[in-house]
Amino acid sequence: MSNGTITGAGNPGRTIDTVRAGLDRRYRAERRFRIYGLSAIVLGLLFVSILFITIIGNGYPAFQQTYVKLDIDFDPESLGIGDQRSNAALSGANYQALVRNALKVRFPDVTGRSDRRALNSLISSGASYQLRDAVLDDPTIIGTRRSVWVPADDDVDQLVKGHMDRAAAEGDRRLKDNQLAWLDQLQADGAIEKRFNTTFFTAGDSREPELAGIRGALMGSVFTLIVTLALSFPIGVATAVYLEEFAPRNRWTDLIEVNINNLAAVPSIVFGLLGLAVFINFFGLPRSAPLVGGLVLTLMTLPTIIIASRAALKSVPPSIRDAALGVGASRVQAVTHHILPLAMPGMLTGAIIGMAQALGESAPLLMIGMVAFIVDVPGGFTDPSTVLPVQIYLWADSPERGFVERTSAAIMVLLGFLIVMNALAVLLRKRFERRW
Amino acid sequence: MDTVSVENEVIMADDGIVKPVAGGRATIDRDNRETVGDVTAKNPRMRCREVSVFYGEKQAIHDVSLDVGSNEVIALIGPSGCGKSTFLRCLNRMNDTIDGCRVIGDISLDGDSIFDTKMDVVQLRAQVGMVFQKPNPFPKSIFENVAYGPRIHGLTRDKTELEAVVHTSLDRAGLLDEVKDRLGEPGTGLSGGQQQRLCIARAIAVNPEVILMDEPCSALDPIATARIEELIDELREQYAIAIVTHSMQQAARVSQRTAYFHLGDLIEIGETNQVFTNPHHQLTEDYITGRFG
Repeated sequence: MSNGTITGAGNPGRTIDTVRAGLDRRYRAERRFRIYGLSAIVLGLLFVSILFITIIGNGYPAFQQTYVKLDIDFDPESLGIGDQRSNAALSGANYQALVRNALKVRFPDVTGRSDRRALNSLISSGASYQLRDAVLDDPTIIGTRRSVWVPADDDVDQLVKGHMDRAAAEGDRRLKDNQLAWLDQLQADGAIEKRFNTTFFTAGDSREPELAGIRGALMGSVFTLIVTLALSFPIGVATAVYLEEFAPRNRWTDLIEVNINNLAAVPSIVFGLLGLAVFINFFGLPRSAPLVGGLVLTLMTLPTIIIASRAALKSVPPSIRDAALGVGASRVQAVTHHILPLAMPGMLTGAIIGMAQALGESAPLLMIGMVAFIVDVPGGFTDPSTVLPVQIYLWADSPERGFVERTSAAIMVLLGFLIVMNALAVLLRKRFERRW
Repeated sequence: MDTVSVENEVIMADDGIVKPVAGGRATIDRDNRETVGDVTAKNPRMRCREVSVFYGEKQAIHDVSLDVGSNEVIALIGPSGCGKSTFLRCLNRMNDTIDGCRVIGDISLDGDSIFDTKMDVVQLRAQVGMVFQKPNPFPKSIFENVAYGPRIHGLTRDKTELEAVVHTSLDRAGLLDEVKDRLGEPGTGLSGGQQQRLCIARAIAVNPEVILMDEPCSALDPIATARIEELIDELREQYAIAIVTHSMQQAARVSQRTAYFHLGDLIEIGETNQVFTNPHHQLTEDYITGRFG
């Protein structure tokens, strides 16, 4: 009964023969499909590794900073304070003079105003702040003489890190021949050293690369995200629970649903404009504050969290709901005792995606003034501050060579922040995860 | 269509309930959708009168009247989509959770209408427990599964009492011996049959008056099914039980009364014995002899 039993037109022979003839093609198609998938992954990984290699390659020198050892004479006369030892007098003293004197002693044969100025410019202006802090910490060192490691200027830093070409013509170099000679002398004495750059993690922004730190932006991001999380998670979850578990299905809820989905696609800068108009101009909240930033980012994150939370609620099997209602739980009890705990991992995932989005957002924050140059590390929700992505943008825009590596280093800090947040989310999810 | 003679062997009683004359045999025509048989029970726990259910515009149940009596098992049988599960879910108002579902008619529990504003749905469900088709234990420990009902209703005063309730419930569900050493383990780790008995234990832990079972054995193997059927027979001593089943053998084994549903109509109701051996309605006979369904 082989020939012609099941065959239709143009399909003679047994079915098994037809299938066999097509098998090769089928296997080829499968192999091809697998190769497409594999190459997509390889390509993706390649780009990610290029990204990481460039960022880390550019950024790791920023974690080191060149210091110069100077013999500082804490002479009250040079400080211009005489016998005064009050805090006000000590804060206002002339520490720049101490640095200049130390250099003068170190290089006695440098005379002439312009040479002196060239010599002094090798040391960062941050050196005087460091000396001031040391004196304020322990005023008894006034009148003594000690060796102090002070930060070098960023040009020196770049030279030591090998980013400056000594062979270039003098006019094309930021450091001139005489400066190079002095530095070589210092180097020969072992008075130049690269150290771990603590300033980068403790200071706020600065115009001088060697004094600029990420701390201000980091704290700004932390405060902003706290506001965002504290507002968007409860509001988002409450909205999702209401829409999914309690709201009747009618035209109004349909309209709300469509609007929430549309809000998720609104360009973030629009939320920034809204925040500027509503929170700052109408409610009079302070500009550049993490509070306002958090509010704006809350608006931006809410749709993400609501959509993810609703999906998580939908994925809870209805049998659990029935079981709870069946033993006489009220709707609220069924939701809080059974459905919410089961949906929590999904909701947390949504929240973390929203938070990661918020952490990386800069456009809406530009509109509410978080792009300002702010030197102080913010201490609260209403202090002016900036955030990590805006700081990256600001540094990427700065001309000094020292900011190139700091930009990459800031990106590394931002990525680290993200990884910590994601790890936390995975941990939380593991804790809440239940099988059924 | 078969020629089935419509003889006047049916009389209309005063209350509008059609009662057959004894000794008749499948003599009621297929087109006749009046309920045949006695819908009343000796000791009614729940009374349903002219219950209709609508899903949106579509009417799923047409004017069904029926009693659920104390200490008896009533089996609701019928082909898929005939509305027996929908009807069962009316009895503890589980249909409230379905959007667009509307129930009209009168259902009362011990004389009080369950649609009355005074009747709280939470209280109703505490009195009318339910066991579902698929075993659905909470993803919590065995103990927590059974303790959940008594806890939310505040039935026990302290932990010892709660433990006692959990133990008796598991014992009555015939599960205690198998799980007494691992009450802290998740209920979802049990086998299908054990899970279903856990769900029964959970339902009886709140000490209901009526237990509704929606195809409780459809996901179980014959051995587990036999255990559940045994259990249903034991539970009958204390509770009124309504069970929806697709298995006619099961209906014959566990129930005292049987109600046959067809496309949203209650076609025939009566003593199980009578319905299976001597159905009055042609549709019932077709179904139980396997001609459709």
